Amino acid sequence: MDIYFLLELAVNGVLIGLMYTLVALGIVLIFKSSGIANLAQGALAMAGAYIAWALLTLAGVPLWIAVPLSLIAMFFIGAGIERVALRPMIGQPVIMVIMLTLGLEILLRGLVPAIFGSVVKRLDLGIPQAPVIIGPMLINTAYLVSGGVALGLVLLSMLFFGTRIGTVLRAVSDDQTASWSVGISVERAIGLSWGMAGVAAASGGILWGSVQGVDWTLSLLLLKALAVAILGGLDSIFGVLIAGMILGVLESVIPAYLDPYVGGGSRDVVASMVILLTVIFRPHGLFGREDIERV
Amino acid sequence: MTVLLALENIEVAYDRVFQAIKGVSLTVPEGGAVALLGANGAGKSTTLKTVSGLLKPERGEVTRGNILFQGQDIAALSAPQRVRLGIVQVLEGRRVFGHLTPAENLIAAASMHRSRQKVAELMEMVFAFFPRLGQRANAKAGYLSGGEQQMLAIGRALMTEPKLLMLDEPSLGLAPYLVDEIFGTISRINRERGMGVLLVEQNATAALEIVDHAYLIENGRVVMSGSAETLKANPDVQEFYLGGAGRVDYHAVKHYRRRKRWLA
Ligand SMILES: Nc1ncnc2c1ncn2[C@@H]1O[C@H](COP(=O)(O)OP(=O)(O)OP(=O)(O)O)[C@@H](O)[C@H]1O
Ligand SMILES: [Mg+2]
Repeated sequence: MDIYFLLELAVNGVLIGLMYTLVALGIVLIFKSSGIANLAQGALAMAGAYIAWALLTLAGVPLWIAVPLSLIAMFFIGAGIERVALRPMIGQPVIMVIMLTLGLEILLRGLVPAIFGSVVKRLDLGIPQAPVIIGPMLINTAYLVSGGVALGLVLLSMLFFGTRIGTVLRAVSDDQTASWSVGISVERAIGLSWGMAGVAAASGGILWGSVQGVDWTLSLLLLKALAVAILGGLDSIFGVLIAGMILGVLESVIPAYLDPYVGGGSRDVVASMVILLTVIFRPHGLFGREDIERV
Repeated sequence: MTVLLALENIEVAYDRVFQAIKGVSLTVPEGGAVALLGANGAGKSTTLKTVSGLLKPERGEVTRGNILFQGQDIAALSAPQRVRLGIVQVLEGRRVFGHLTPAENLIAAASMHRSRQKVAELMEMVFAFFPRLGQRANAKAGYLSGGEQQMLAIGRALMTEPKLLMLDEPSLGLAPYLVDEIFGTISRINRERGMGVLLVEQNATAALEIVDHAYLIENGRVVMSGSAETLKANPDVQEFYLGGAGRVDYHAVKHYRRRKRWLA
């Protein structure tokens, strides 16, 4: 097959993967701060896209206000979920808390489309339809813009971890009891990470929703985000950045070669294969953090 | 002499059944240095956690008694609230933030201070007390030596500007010269900053050198208390706590058995 065709697939794949990274970021943030796998991340992405659509289309709010407003709303929804549903669960077995997040995912998947109507909505971010042509390659403009925005947000969150508040969050992720002992409000730090997870999910959901339309299937981003988070190592931001791009490339290249032989549909299997293979062969992912051992 | 901390008849149970301490009373005067001595499992750490509010995550509960800090009953306050009042505990086993650098460890512990200026000043003070930390400021704390980690754990506690500094076995696993160095610094902090110190130790020799007053706790009860001089002179303390420090051999085992009988 043509090398330029392969390159075109790879570039588009990287850009899509960056959006996955954005959604996966929320899983990593919460895992780092509280050791919980957040399985509601897909529904949060979907909810963010629905809110942006409702503000734009139903309320007629201009784009440049509607998008930030949806992100702010999702920050409070994320933090609110922590406050109302998760904080009372402190002391319960971790598996129960994870089941709770899964319950939330299922609830929101049904509830949000029921409120706004289940027909696919068009979310127009004003990105031109025509592809960008680089040499012999056609790059989807929506992917290019979305990937760029996603990359920017991921880099921003890396910078955030160098700030004072970010340092406190990293301390909480290292040792909750020790954090408590020096006066860190661990609950508030975890609430903050849920708020940020809401924002990350919504950004991913809005970008992806502008590409494929807004309906419940946006919540299937959960599977992609989980695959990325697991491959990246669950607690590494740099890890999800790399893993997102890897998944994106695999998802666009593998079907191009495989689909003619298997009759299509191999794209949907890639993410689950990534999860399975990572868990079996490299349980700590590509960049999972080493535990420092010193006696 | 005003009282900084007073425990009155405290009883603590874990999991609602196991009574770890059974009626402990003690006081730490403003700016004073007090040691809490005792063997493994005596209830020393539990006593400190009662004061710092760190019992809750371990399912421990105060079932009786009062905890007064500067005359105020603090039983209902959360651990972070108590830190804001000026109570801080350096945990047993150091528990530094291993993936953060020493400087970041200190910054994380200053979350209650809004002003950057203040944080910078406090960090400067910590590096002045523990110059070695300044030299290793950019390594991950998890890779510091045991002594350096202990210094960092103390420095991290100082970032909260405590009035009462509680230390849980700071000598644990450290070479004697390091114990001397660290205890010397604790004593300087106590004298120069007028900070109250409550020091939990099994190493009674080192502890009694830097405190004014000490309590001996066994099986969750205070069995002896007095000035450091009185305790040093007490024949039982001499035999079971001061003599045994260097000797870890057959004799120590025998001493341990005899001590058990003495308590029973
Ligand atoms: N989280 C807990 N749950 C149940 N029991 C506990 C818990 N922590 C301590 N205990 C018990 O309470 C008693 C006192 O423990 P504590 O840790 O206070 O002793 P200690 O004097 O600090 O001992 P050491 O010198 O070994 O640190 C012990 O019998 C211990 O087994
Ligand atoms: Mg102890």
